[in-house]
Amino acid sequence: MTHRTISRRTMLRGLGGVTIALPLLEEMLILRAHAAPEETKAPVRAFNVFFGLGVPAPLQQEGFDGVLEPLGPLRDKLLILRGVDQVRCDRSGMNAHYDGATGAFTAEPPDGEAKAGGPSIDQVVRKAHYPSGLPAGMVSTLVGGTFFRRSRVGRYVHSYNDDGTVAAVMQERPRDLFERVFGSIALSGDETDLRRRRLKRSVLDAVVDQYKSLAGSTSPLGATSRARIADHLERIREFEQRAYSLSRKDESAPNLPPPSQVAHGGEADPGGEGIDITLEELTTEWRLMADLYALAIQTDRVRFGSLTFLAAGERIRLKGNYAYAGRTVFEFDDAAQRRKSGSSGCSHEWWHEFDEKKKNEQLRAHAHLKLREVAHFLQQLAGPESVEPNGKTILENSLITISTESGDGRHNDVKRELSGIFHAVTGANGRLKTGQILDVGSEGIDVYNTMLEALDVSRRLGPANREFRRVEAMRA
Amino acid sequence: MLDFLRPGSLAALRFAATRGILCLVLLYGWRDAGGADGELLEGRVQKGLLALYDFDSSDGSIVKDRADGEQALDLRIADPKAVRHSADGLTIGGKTLIQSEQPASRLIRSIKQSGAIAIEAWVRPARLDQSGPARIVTLSRDANERNFTLGQEGDKFEVRLRTTKTSGNGIPSLASKPKSLRADWMHVVYTYNRAGRARLYLDGKLNAEQQIGGDLSNWNGELKLALANELSGDRPWLGAYRLVAVYDRDLSPAEVERNFRAGRDLAPPTAAELLARKSAANARLFETRIAPLVSQHCLECHDSVTRQGKLDLSHKSAALAGGEQGPAIVAGNPAESRLWQLVESDEMPHDRPPLSQVEKEQLKQWLEGGANWSLEAIDPAIYAHGGGPTKVFVQRLTVPEYIETVRGSVGVDIAKEARELLPRDLRADGFSNTAYNLNVDLGHVEAYANLAEIIVGRMDVKAVARKHTKSRELTDENVTQVIEPLGRRLLRGPLDKEEVTRYCGISTSVAAAGGNFEEAIRYILEAMLQSPRFLYRIESQRGDGSAGPLTPYELASRLSYLLWGGPPDDALLAAAEKQAFNRAEVEAQVRRMLEDPRAVARSRQFITEWLNLDRLENLRPSAERFPDWDARLAADMRHETLAFFEEIVWKQNRPLTDLLNAQITFVTPRLAKHYGLPLDNLPKGDEPVRYDLSSVPGRGGLLTQGSVLTVGGDDASTVTRGLFVMHELLRGVVRDPPPCVDTTPVPTKPGLTQRAIAESRIANQSCAGCHVKFEPLAFGLEKFDGLGSYHDTDEHGNKLRDDGNILFPGEETPVAFESSAELMELLAKSDRVRESFTWKVAQFAVGRPLGAEDAAVVADIHRDAQKAGGTYAGLMTAIVLSDLVQKARTEATASSSLDNTSSKDQSADQ
Repeated sequence: MTHRTISRRTMLRGLGGVTIALPLLEEMLILRAHAAPEETKAPVRAFNVFFGLGVPAPLQQEGFDGVLEPLGPLRDKLLILRGVDQVRCDRSGMNAHYDGATGAFTAEPPDGEAKAGGPSIDQVVRKAHYPSGLPAGMVSTLVGGTFFRRSRVGRYVHSYNDDGTVAAVMQERPRDLFERVFGSIALSGDETDLRRRRLKRSVLDAVVDQYKSLAGSTSPLGATSRARIADHLERIREFEQRAYSLSRKDESAPNLPPPSQVAHGGEADPGGEGIDITLEELTTEWRLMADLYALAIQTDRVRFGSLTFLAAGERIRLKGNYAYAGRTVFEFDDAAQRRKSGSSGCSHEWWHEFDEKKKNEQLRAHAHLKLREVAHFLQQLAGPESVEPNGKTILENSLITISTESGDGRHNDVKRELSGIFHAVTGANGRLKTGQILDVGSEGIDVYNTMLEALDVSRRLGPANREFRRVEAMRA
Repeated sequence: MLDFLRPGSLAALRFAATRGILCLVLLYGWRDAGGADGELLEGRVQKGLLALYDFDSSDGSIVKDRADGEQALDLRIADPKAVRHSADGLTIGGKTLIQSEQPASRLIRSIKQSGAIAIEAWVRPARLDQSGPARIVTLSRDANERNFTLGQEGDKFEVRLRTTKTSGNGIPSLASKPKSLRADWMHVVYTYNRAGRARLYLDGKLNAEQQIGGDLSNWNGELKLALANELSGDRPWLGAYRLVAVYDRDLSPAEVERNFRAGRDLAPPTAAELLARKSAANARLFETRIAPLVSQHCLECHDSVTRQGKLDLSHKSAALAGGEQGPAIVAGNPAESRLWQLVESDEMPHDRPPLSQVEKEQLKQWLEGGANWSLEAIDPAIYAHGGGPTKVFVQRLTVPEYIETVRGSVGVDIAKEARELLPRDLRADGFSNTAYNLNVDLGHVEAYANLAEIIVGRMDVKAVARKHTKSRELTDENVTQVIEPLGRRLLRGPLDKEEVTRYCGISTSVAAAGGNFEEAIRYILEAMLQSPRFLYRIESQRGDGSAGPLTPYELASRLSYLLWGGPPDDALLAAAEKQAFNRAEVEAQVRRMLEDPRAVARSRQFITEWLNLDRLENLRPSAERFPDWDARLAADMRHETLAFFEEIVWKQNRPLTDLLNAQITFVTPRLAKHYGLPLDNLPKGDEPVRYDLSSVPGRGGLLTQGSVLTVGGDDASTVTRGLFVMHELLRGVVRDPPPCVDTTPVPTKPGLTQRAIAESRIANQSCAGCHVKFEPLAFGLEKFDGLGSYHDTDEHGNKLRDDGNILFPGEETPVAFESSAELMELLAKSDRVRESFTWKVAQFAVGRPLGAEDAAVVADIHRDAQKAGGTYAGLMTAIVLSDLVQKARTEATASSSLDNTSSKDQSADQ
């Protein structure tokens, strides 16, 4: 594998690529370091981590001895939840992959083809804890991921606004995510021309005033549109911050990460027929993405958002030797093993064929791999560089919810597809239990609302008149 | 008596109720009764009536608006103890305030759009020494800001009206003659017309008039309507009210006299009228709650095809006839209704989740209320997004719209840079201009800023400024002279004072930095190009959840973006300025605009989006199975479809359904070879040329083109192709596969064709219910492989066929076809397919998925479009003239939206 873990230190050293003067990571780190003494409490953070095609419920019963093995090293920091029922997320006539994926973290059925039925956990927490917005310069919501199936947004985006629209644009290339988080805005022309900068600033001020006016109480727009304009205004504020406030440039600024080697955009999903990809290509891309995302959290540039490892109903034909803990787990070669090309040759079909009485060898290997990669991301937040002033790691201090789309492989059956959806959650700074595997036997909506309650969020997901059934066993 | 409660109007009411447009009829339909000069009917004038208070309410604290049953602007009395109700009206004995709970948005929008108003009142002042003026009727915020106020100033009536020529306080005002006000019942009417003339009538006679001038475009849309005091509570009026009315037009002297002669009393509704209202309300319940419920929970097993228990709930007559166990519905008696019995006990829906408690209550309420099944058929496609109102999202310009807007506004071609810098718009609900999905990221903001600079850099700013002022001096006056016309052009309507001031602020910064006039204009242009009014299509959306008229500038923008995907041109802006958008003018504009090449470009965007032609760029067929595949064929297929579309729709102006069976296409020699078409007489090269298909069996029409045939993937999946035809051409709805079915695609082999595999699915009882509806739709395409080449046998040597049968949604019996060509003929002649074109084009036009609340309007559009020949031009004209475009949806403010949320929440709780 060509992948190198990116830590703050390695980023600062540089990876030997082309140095570009855009990133201001050093300055951001300095800012954070200055802010640290004042911030003795860990900030409230919430992230949703999604992986496609899930873990069939019978396999979850095997605990860390089965496909959950890669989560084993993190078991003390996780609460594994089995028996989470998301059947209410079924939308008749909509693809079950899509239903399950948009239901993850929202507990609501989708509303149309590119909208969730309500907000996601991370956004509800964000609104509750930062009603006036995040501190200046932060990315309010970061959505990233490595995925290929993209026929509907809900397959791969997992942060949603109150109105069910996506909370932020997906960053699907590591470089894009890097620039979204760490990039400064390079104004055209001579940057030392202060007069010009001042005039540009006055243009921006006039623009900001207009957005403020349209987002305000005297706007002719309705509430939904005002929220959209307010979002735009927030992005302008961020632009303003990066273009004008972060002015100290560091000559030792880190390099951009290397360009992506895998397909993106429409090319990544050629007519729903799937793509050929090697294990190395996939994990190199993903780990770069995951490490950058973790770095964004470590540098306190991001406190909310979602990260996706493979989309709902993902269609890839994977090839390569899969080793874990010094042993070969499986030799992936989906197309050959399925003896089919196109979508029929994709790993996704193993889920169609899941039968708990059989070995399900290929499905197990794919699911194991997915959890290994999810664990990789979580590990980045659990190391010594992630220890916060309260002595705990970011992983322990944050609310990180890990979920997926499928409960029982045969996703043609809503009840099996959307019952027993794998979930795991971190302790949110001691608010939730960890170190257990819990058979909750509850609806996802109650699980999520229990998490929100634990984070002192008064808002509840789902219908207003629905009785909240707290999952007491989750609370610390 | 109110016109809409007269017998003739009741028929209209019933008709409206059956179409699900009750609220619109109540709002507007009956207002239009009568000729251009007013009503043909006797009694009070109804045309243009927006609000009517007769003070006949039995509720002590509410004054009911009787102009509109569902969108009424009721008023609340702050201190009920200060008033007395009597047969003679409402007497204000002490200081109070009677105000609407929400802004009078609909009323304000209507008046702003019409540019005219009439305010009428029957009142009896308590004393002659009230002043301030003491507020009789007011639409204002406080003592200093108003849209209008009719008040008492001693022994005179005084009216203040805000126009672009008066102050925000409505000064100068118009007063009646001294001593014209008496402490007795008086009829007072104030009118203001678009020529700027104000008139005041007392007891039917003209008392005073004055030329005020200006239009009403600067009205504040957030003000509340109030009686008996100023909103700030400091201008009380004492006396009695018998009637207050507001119109969105100036009543003529004859109409004023007619209302005066009609007297102070309005007749109460009769028993028949009350019954009609109840029936209409029951129909409304059916259309907004019950039909979606039936669609979601019942039709899977009880539509015209499945008819389990011989019960078909998809059609009115069949539903009312009942099934093998007798009548399913007994009007007024849920206990006797089999439907209710089974639903209440959760026996139905069978093997599916039961109805929620709220849904059950709604069903029961509908049965008790008379079970008015007001639709002939329940079309599940209409309820795909539920039955209730949808959110109103502001529309950001898509990338192509941005490019065209820059070109149309300032004449700069920014296509290359915009495509490079702006993040791509993603598809949602089939189109990438779907408003709810057009959000923004930092990348947008950065790109807009960079693009603004590039654009201004390419403009001849000197020349632009010179058009509006000859002076080069950097003064506020000079800059304003440029900002106003420039803003009007770039921001698609006039700027208000605050906006002008904001842009002037930039010039102040430039002046302070020692800059010159041209530099100031340059930066102002950059700001305008990043303004929300440039990047979004801003319309007034606040209201009560109903649809209201647009301002002329809003309408001009709608026309241009809908037909051209770009900004209004000078002619449209001029028409907006003159407020000249009557129906004839709009029709003339549409005719003119459809002749412009921009209309063709916009239609190409539609077909590209609808068929997702961008998908072709990413076609990666298996090299093993298709070793001869040439990547350039994907581009050829795209060009084929676009050229074919342009030929049929624009050059030949044929009905849109001819796209399905026209016997021509456009191919390169490469594509012709791929298709297996004879290459005789084809010129060499890469350019697509017209190709006559009349002697080519099987090929002809969109569905036989590679751009569409490739949707089925390498395997030419009958499921995917069938679903494509079903969703895109027939607007059919199918549910998820039932439990325990392995959906893994079965491979073909010797002796087993795709059709045979599909037929086995159709023969399977678990699959048949849905697969019979869509898989046969692909049978006619069986001879086309996954990349669109034509074969008589498949890769295993199995003989292929192209006969089959098609079941149109809502029909009971399939129709047989013998060949692909016959299938295309059937589709092209299908009403359902014609309707689908209407729905798809209309969705793209308005930039949002259409649902139950739009169904009646879309049905009207479809009817008008078919009358016009079913062409693209006819359809676009019908869309433009419809309420879908002529009226803007508003979003209910907090109190009403709570109701909506509540109902959505309740229905979701299952």
